[in-house]
Amino acid sequence: MTSMPVTATFASLEVHREMDLFLAQEAELADSRRYWEWAELVEDDFTYKVPVPRTPDSPFAPHYDDRVMFIDESKWSLENQWFKRLDPDIYELSWAENPPVRFRHFVTSIRVRTTTESDRYDVRSNVMLIGVRQSDMPKYITAERFDIIVRRPEGLRLASRWVVLDETLIDFPQLRILL
Amino acid sequence: MTIIDRSAEPLTVYRRSWGDEEVFLTEMDRIFGHCWQFLAHDSEIPDPGDYVTRKMGRDRVIVARGEDGEIRVFLNTCRHRGVPLCRADEGNSSHYRCSYHGWTYTNTGELRGVTYQPDVYGKNFDKSKFSLFEPAQVDSVCGLIFATWDPEAPTLADYLGDAAWYLQAIVGKFDGGMEVAGTPVRNIVRANWKTEGENLSGDGYHTMITHATALELGLFATPKDLEKLSDVVNPRFTGRTVDCGNGHTVRAQRLPVEVEGRKFWGYPEDMWEQFERNLTPEQADLMSCLSVNHGSIFPNMSFIENFKTNVDGPDLHARYIRITIRYPISATHSEQVWFFLQPRNADPEWCRLSSLAYLRTNGPSGMFELDDTENFVGISEASVGDYARTKPVDYLGGLHHKLTPPEVGWPGRVVDGDRTEHTLRAFHRRWNELMKVDEAATPSIEV
Repeated sequence: MTSMPVTATFASLEVHREMDLFLAQEAELADSRRYWEWAELVEDDFTYKVPVPRTPDSPFAPHYDDRVMFIDESKWSLENQWFKRLDPDIYELSWAENPPVRFRHFVTSIRVRTTTESDRYDVRSNVMLIGVRQSDMPKYITAERFDIIVRRPEGLRLASRWVVLDETLIDFPQLRILL
Repeated sequence: MTIIDRSAEPLTVYRRSWGDEEVFLTEMDRIFGHCWQFLAHDSEIPDPGDYVTRKMGRDRVIVARGEDGEIRVFLNTCRHRGVPLCRADEGNSSHYRCSYHGWTYTNTGELRGVTYQPDVYGKNFDKSKFSLFEPAQVDSVCGLIFATWDPEAPTLADYLGDAAWYLQAIVGKFDGGMEVAGTPVRNIVRANWKTEGENLSGDGYHTMITHATALELGLFATPKDLEKLSDVVNPRFTGRTVDCGNGHTVRAQRLPVEVEGRKFWGYPEDMWEQFERNLTPEQADLMSCLSVNHGSIFPNMSFIENFKTNVDGPDLHARYIRITIRYPISATHSEQVWFFLQPRNADPEWCRLSSLAYLRTNGPSGMFELDDTENFVGISEASVGDYARTKPVDYLGGLHHKLTPPEVGWPGRVVDGDRTEHTLRAFHRRWNELMKVDEAATPSIEV
């Protein structure tokens, strides 16, 4: 998972409010498909990984397998292989996104912990993503997110995101999702 | 016996095939009750006691390696009152103990313990009559484990026939063999189980349209990419499709380049010598300068080896190997399981690139899969209507394509031509045979 050393110390309420706003802003940009603005909120070496969910044979084993990913992306791949799909000259041939699935993030239970580096935070949150394809009924997917968020002179930036899904048999209208 | 080769004849399939519950229930009996079905790769259960839970049709099964090292398949249900014995996706256990009344089985399938036996069943209860239910036949090829409920089914080798040669060219060319990289992803696809299978059987016709943006964004070799690999780049990709018999099919598309010797681009060059050694010259020709090689094993398994370009930045190309199966749920829903395979002991940096080549293109969240799925879901949605289901789909593509010269040496009925419905006809003709559809009563339109 994240190799960041984590202390047990929660950040201040002020930092919690700041992170809450940052995650809300980030979700707003993703849900409204303002992907290029979203990309400005992540570090150049940003990684986005979702390990494969599974039902293990023990309550003490993780409900994911990190030997293999379900999603494994970088800022480069998100920009060049995800977001460019909606460029004016090719969006009409991006069949799965035309018309797009409507996404709505619900982000709750944000926990911000300080790390050994003063400008880096370990930010965990619960997320429910709703997806609505065409006239279909909404589907939802829930997960726990493990983010590393760093403070830069220009503002907060997402350095990495690791997402553990709750659902092992994934039932969602589209699997290319920004959780 | 006279074999009538009908691959070059038009074929009509009615749209009810993709959305009718009665057709679906007949399939469960006539197809999933009899055909060999892919379950797992032996690398998933390397040690005694290891198991994974899978499905055959709609039946839940346990695929286990017993304490004796043998691989067995059990219906995942207690002989007593029907409760599942394994609830996890994978694990290791010497015994399976039922949560209801505690009947306990060895991982070789024998009933070992019956709770309060003398009190409930008397002293003479014969436990040997209550072993776990098992498929009639279990066998494997290249580590790929299959099973069938039908004791009359041909052996796996006979069932696969010529398709085994093509499977071996993909998964059998590495010195250390292959392994499934971790737990397979599973997802619900709101489409009939046949839609993706018929596409992967060999639909080279849809690529330029369905995957137009993927091509535009550089995930499919362009002349610019190819000019860095070869001095002679031709304008057009070429390909062949194969009807292997029994509904099994293959499509092989070659990069449009002229080269000296064989080039296994997408793998580290120090691996190439293995391929020359482990493959026949004809198989090596098939895998050289490969763009994509994919096919379907009837009824619900597909395989693909694919060369993908610029997957993690400019000039970062790699091949990946993927197997998928689709469990039927209903006429319009299926469960897809995704196996990503890697050669054992391969260079870690290449493995990383191969994994990205898979995930970002034909993985569950990959761009190719995204656009494909929209088509598959749409076919089922548009086929359930009461008028639509009476209307035909006519498979007429590539009827005029020529047979590949026999000296090429590939088994099966091989046709030169990439944009074709040759393999789709083979898939549906096998389906017709098993479903006892009278083709004469459902004539195709004249062409």
